[in-house]
Amino acid sequence: MTPQPQSTSAQTSDLLPGFDHTAFDSNAVFRALLDAMSRPGRIYDLPVAVSAPDGLNKAATATLLAMADMDTTIWLSPSCVTKAAGDHLKFHCGCPISTDVKQADFAIARISDDLSFVTDLAIGNAEYPDQSATLILMVDEISDQPSMTLKGPGIKDTHSLAVKGLPESFHAWRAENHHLFPCGVDVIFASETQIAALSRTTRIEVN
Amino acid sequence: MEQTVKNPADGAPDYNFAYLDEQTKRMIRRALLKAVAIPGYQVPFAGREMPMPYGWGTGGVQVTAAVIGPNDTLKVIDQGADDTTNAVSIRQFFAKTAQVATTEKTAEASIIQTRHRIPEKELREDQVLVYQVPIPEPLRFLVPRETETRKMHALEEYGLMHVKLYEDISRHGHIATTYAYPVMVDDRYVMDPSPTPKFDNPKMNNMAALQLFGAGREKRIYALPPYTKVKSLDFEDHPFEVQTWEDKCGMCGARDSYLDEVILDDQGNRMFVCSDTDYCAERQEAGHRGPQHHDQPLGSADRGKAAE
Repeated sequence: MTPQPQSTSAQTSDLLPGFDHTAFDSNAVFRALLDAMSRPGRIYDLPVAVSAPDGLNKAATATLLAMADMDTTIWLSPSCVTKAAGDHLKFHCGCPISTDVKQADFAIARISDDLSFVTDLAIGNAEYPDQSATLILMVDEISDQPSMTLKGPGIKDTHSLAVKGLPESFHAWRAENHHLFPCGVDVIFASETQIAALSRTTRIEVN
Repeated sequence: MEQTVKNPADGAPDYNFAYLDEQTKRMIRRALLKAVAIPGYQVPFAGREMPMPYGWGTGGVQVTAAVIGPNDTLKVIDQGADDTTNAVSIRQFFAKTAQVATTEKTAEASIIQTRHRIPEKELREDQVLVYQVPIPEPLRFLVPRETETRKMHALEEYGLMHVKLYEDISRHGHIATTYAYPVMVDDRYVMDPSPTPKFDNPKMNNMAALQLFGAGREKRIYALPPYTKVKSLDFEDHPFEVQTWEDKCGMCGARDSYLDEVILDDQGNRMFVCSDTDYCAERQEAGHRGPQHHDQPLGSADRGKAAE
């Protein structure tokens, strides 16, 4: 009798596809991320079509496909932890997924989640402030409504940004994060179709 | 799976798009995102060996390879010129491995890789300037040890750099540093602008374009996001000044551009020409003429005359 294959790992037939064209699509997504991080608060359309596994949205999935690999540890907030999301990231990115938020290079959460974990994210140290985490926050809607006024490097005068459902505690954390400069955590807001970012240099006025 | 260029028969079919493999590009891209988030801070990266020697722009080439996409238009300059060996070979490298369009026109480029100059024409928001950097650490010639300079950056301990500039003043009467003139970025990090002439330093301040710096041998990446405050270090009584020339460009007559001195013979005759070849060519196309331009009559008062 032939042994039955063990069904612990993902069946490839269940997997959603990654990028259509690895080189071009990851470049296009990276350029959107680079523009977003260089110009905090500016909103960029997701330049490629991707399918998102249950637990993640499209822009967050595209960001991870473009940026994550075996050298980056991913942390998923409890609301994002699904078998589909885990399988998708392991298959397409080959990235380790940790349950310890302190280990994360990229932490992924939903805006409606309990965001108290953010203070545990790595902020780097004074000599290597780049050894810090990036928070990818999945949101429903990003717009340039003036609910936040942003200033800092990358911003000519001011940028306006509104993120639906952003809790009060987030702003307190960002203010504290800004004071940690050059250490700190950078944030990427990812809706289904758009990306915007907050650098650790960005000063936020809540209107 | 790595993927090859659009039309493998024309490009370099055995290589991935833009030469580097996808994992290397991701590593560089992650470093770039950190670099723009911490303006002026040198992010270590796992620099690869490139098919050109260190000192020929291996850092800039790796940054460009990570950033460039199939729809980009690339311009490469070496000391301002599009037609020098280094510029031509790097332009051809990406024309072959990434099949991108190339240009010599500053205005047409979406990515400009540069060795030691910033174009005279003001750059736009939709352009990226990539610098080739030999020594990224501005404090390196003062303190040879990396662990020390890293600590100095961490503690914002830049007194030694001011002492160096002060020693210039005590020895020469003015700050004699003319290239790789240190700048303070967003009031936090002292940064080496790469060996650009200090003439170009003011252009870095509040530039609309994104500026990325790659040092291949030293394996460091740093960046200036658009509209970032970049201040050349100086003293209240010895403010920063750029070079000025009494001459104008011999070809286009420009007085506002950085001029190279060209020795014409062993009789002391010389001329000055724009270092930015595209700027000079554009001015000549627009009808501007300098005294040594071949349109000028040989007998005219200025042509061939030694500069005063």
